Amino acid sequence: MTVLPADDVVALSEGALMQARMGDAEAVVTSVTEELTRFAANAIHQNVAERSLRLRARVLADNRVGTAASTGEAGADLAARVMAAAESAREVATQTDVSPIPEPDEGADDPAAYSAATAAATPELRADHVAAIARRASGRGLVAYGYLSTAQRQTAVANTKGVRRSATSTQAGAVVVVRGDAGSGYASRHDADIDRIDIEEMADEAVDTCLRNQGADAIEPGTYEVVLAPYAVTDLLEHLGWVGFSALAVQEHRSFMRIGEKAMSESVTIRDDCRDPDLFPYPFDAEGVSTQPLDLIARGVCHAVVYDTPTALKDGVRSTGHSLPQPNTWGPYASHLAMLPGESSVPELIAGITRGLYITRFWYVRDVHPLHAIITGMTRDGTFLIENGRLSRPVRDLRFTQSIVDALGDVRGISRERRLELGESETGVLSPWLHLGHFAFSS
Amino acid sequence: MRDLAERALDAAVTAGADYADCRVVDRRVQHLVVKNGKVVTVEVGEDEGLGVRVIAGGAWGFAGGCRLDAASVEETARHAVRIARASARLNPRPVHLAPLAPVSGAYRTPVEQDPFEVSLDAKLDLLMRTDEAMARVAQVTVRESNSFGRHQLCAGWEVIEGFDMPGNAERIATEAAALLTADRCPAGTMTVILDGTQAALQVHESCGHPTELDRVLGTEAAYAGMSFLTPELLGTFRYGSEQVTLTADSTRATGLGTFGWDDEGVPARRTMLVDKGIFSGYMTSRETAAVLGQESNGTMRADGWARLPLIRMTNVNLEPGSSSLDEMIATTKHGVYLETNRSWSIDDRRLNFQFGTQNAWEIVDGMRTRLVRNALYSGTTPEFWRSCDAVASDAEWRMWGVVNCGKGQPSQLMHVGHGAAPCRFQNVRVEPAQ
Repeated sequence: MTVLPADDVVALSEGALMQARMGDAEAVVTSVTEELTRFAANAIHQNVAERSLRLRARVLADNRVGTAASTGEAGADLAARVMAAAESAREVATQTDVSPIPEPDEGADDPAAYSAATAAATPELRADHVAAIARRASGRGLVAYGYLSTAQRQTAVANTKGVRRSATSTQAGAVVVVRGDAGSGYASRHDADIDRIDIEEMADEAVDTCLRNQGADAIEPGTYEVVLAPYAVTDLLEHLGWVGFSALAVQEHRSFMRIGEKAMSESVTIRDDCRDPDLFPYPFDAEGVSTQPLDLIARGVCHAVVYDTPTALKDGVRSTGHSLPQPNTWGPYASHLAMLPGESSVPELIAGITRGLYITRFWYVRDVHPLHAIITGMTRDGTFLIENGRLSRPVRDLRFTQSIVDALGDVRGISRERRLELGESETGVLSPWLHLGHFAFSS
Repeated sequence: MRDLAERALDAAVTAGADYADCRVVDRRVQHLVVKNGKVVTVEVGEDEGLGVRVIAGGAWGFAGGCRLDAASVEETARHAVRIARASARLNPRPVHLAPLAPVSGAYRTPVEQDPFEVSLDAKLDLLMRTDEAMARVAQVTVRESNSFGRHQLCAGWEVIEGFDMPGNAERIATEAAALLTADRCPAGTMTVILDGTQAALQVHESCGHPTELDRVLGTEAAYAGMSFLTPELLGTFRYGSEQVTLTADSTRATGLGTFGWDDEGVPARRTMLVDKGIFSGYMTSRETAAVLGQESNGTMRADGWARLPLIRMTNVNLEPGSSSLDEMIATTKHGVYLETNRSWSIDDRRLNFQFGTQNAWEIVDGMRTRLVRNALYSGTTPEFWRSCDAVASDAEWRMWGVVNCGKGQPSQLMHVGHGAAPCRFQNVRVEPAQ
């Protein structure tokens, strides 16, 4: 059940504009229905639903800007309150760095990722899926932890320059950690359509990893060849998005990206593609600008960065449609990242290593040195020693501190198969398995 | 608000709830940003809604909605009950809550000057003067000052003025410029002295999170993880040296975790977590406390009306010792004094950590000498806290605020407090990041 019908969301954004008495204005309305069933030790322990309606308005006039945001009652009162607040904020803001509200562009309103099944998902359906996961775990003497979520989002962007964009999207996700007496395994699946998530296959993957990851021994820290599963690769790509692929990061000289220069192995191409059906397709950004597909790294060479209206204005180019809600100081963000696949199977990647590590996932990954894209974090839920081309035994989790750019400069293989995973910023990332020549573990 | 809450509770009980609680939240915020001498953001926000938590069929359900008319509120409550009944399909152990006496009252944060009564002009003037002071340092190319940062307190405008942002801005800009040409931090095993802000984050990650009882019991196992502080260690495990006493105290003035009652209605209180180095308590809720045969010590909070309350740090404090920063430096042969966090990471059981700081000052023969850059330090939680041989006294103890503590699925960001003072540790691994 939605907070407002989609047409009403659009009408509310347009109604808000009518409240703007001078200058340019922008209104963004988002209606969200999100439900999540969480489980621990094979039982549902938290089970929640949220229905919200958010209106965000920006008013610009006389080189001044004001913004107001509200969550609450639907209707004209909300719009009037928000626009009045935005205008009052505008009145005081002198010496403002005002970026113009964008003009309409020629981009088509391609459909966003949407599934009627996800939109109609019930608490009972989610409970039954969770019960299936718990059965797969308990049948092997293990316990399962995780969540299953479904969400529907309607967004409308309208401005006084004539932009009118709207989209309705859905998202479903399932995450499971299966634990035994002496180790754990992980799996996750995400899709716009909950019916396309094979719950039992996902549970079996986590069970299998858990069973193989019992009684891990410590291993000496050091530099190892590795195979990273897509869950781990997603962290690398997402952090590149944060520290490198933004035009603002380049303009402020804190990005590794130097357009035209080789930065990574020739086998590496990283795209941002809002139309990729294997991601979560979405046609426009928070300013209502059509999002353009971009090769950010093309065959190892720095090729492009993403822009919003303020950063595009500074460089004299057009926005690529990667804006976060304006105004902000974060800059644009690549929210549909994908690494292009290679030609290897996963067993072939592992077979190429005499002694190395297989990493299922990372945990608590944080930037250490943004300019060099150095990150740190821990391995988790399945770290295995590779010996003579096969997984030989589980090893205890390790801390790594490693430059992503440096690691992606030594790519020995990329899998054909890829997985859609949610990054920490909860945007989809499409990642393959990677064989890297070196990766540094410190403890 | 009370009428809405009563209506929601009635609707939940009518629909079959055995227990229901309700929170109505009305939040106002103002966010101002100045960057490179220009006003970038003047934003006002309001956030209203209602959350209903119920037990039906022995299981939990929660629903939150932004529409506050009578019909919508009742529908939200009924949906929470439906969700609880779905939970009951896979809930072999019915929920049991520790007892709690009914209470009634009101709580208001003490405020000398209401920040919403201060003019926008005055606030922007403060940010512009801060920006101008940073601009006086020639090598600085990007300057930003804002009303939202890593340090916040529960108080009025008086604390913002007390931060003296314009008075500190030029020093901070000068330090940033000096880091450009500073030598790399030396590597090795050495003495480390943390400033109060870094000590606060060290407490947050390595004491606060592992003493959350829900983590210990596994309810965060798929996300934030579990804890090395398991119940059989209570009262006997040496977590730190005798210098180390840690409390969860929601009564301490100005803390972001200071309140009258938690979101289950449990009164604010002080709980000992680590007593002179011995692990001695958890932060609990009514449900988790019952598992240990205890009453809740009042740490359940949600980050808004749309979220379920979880065990969250209140103000987790490193209690003051008897030393001072000057004394610690003067009695250090070789080490580093570390200021202001820039990087943080810890494993899912809260043992293996690595932190980085903006500033590191090398200490040689009792003297603070050169500024060095890109310092990282790492260790294992109990070994690290057992090596603590000095904590500064009340004179240098401050309440700090952490505004981005993430936990739960769906994700919740909580404001939590940490009282801390400079403190010293021996035999810590230190290295440069690059």
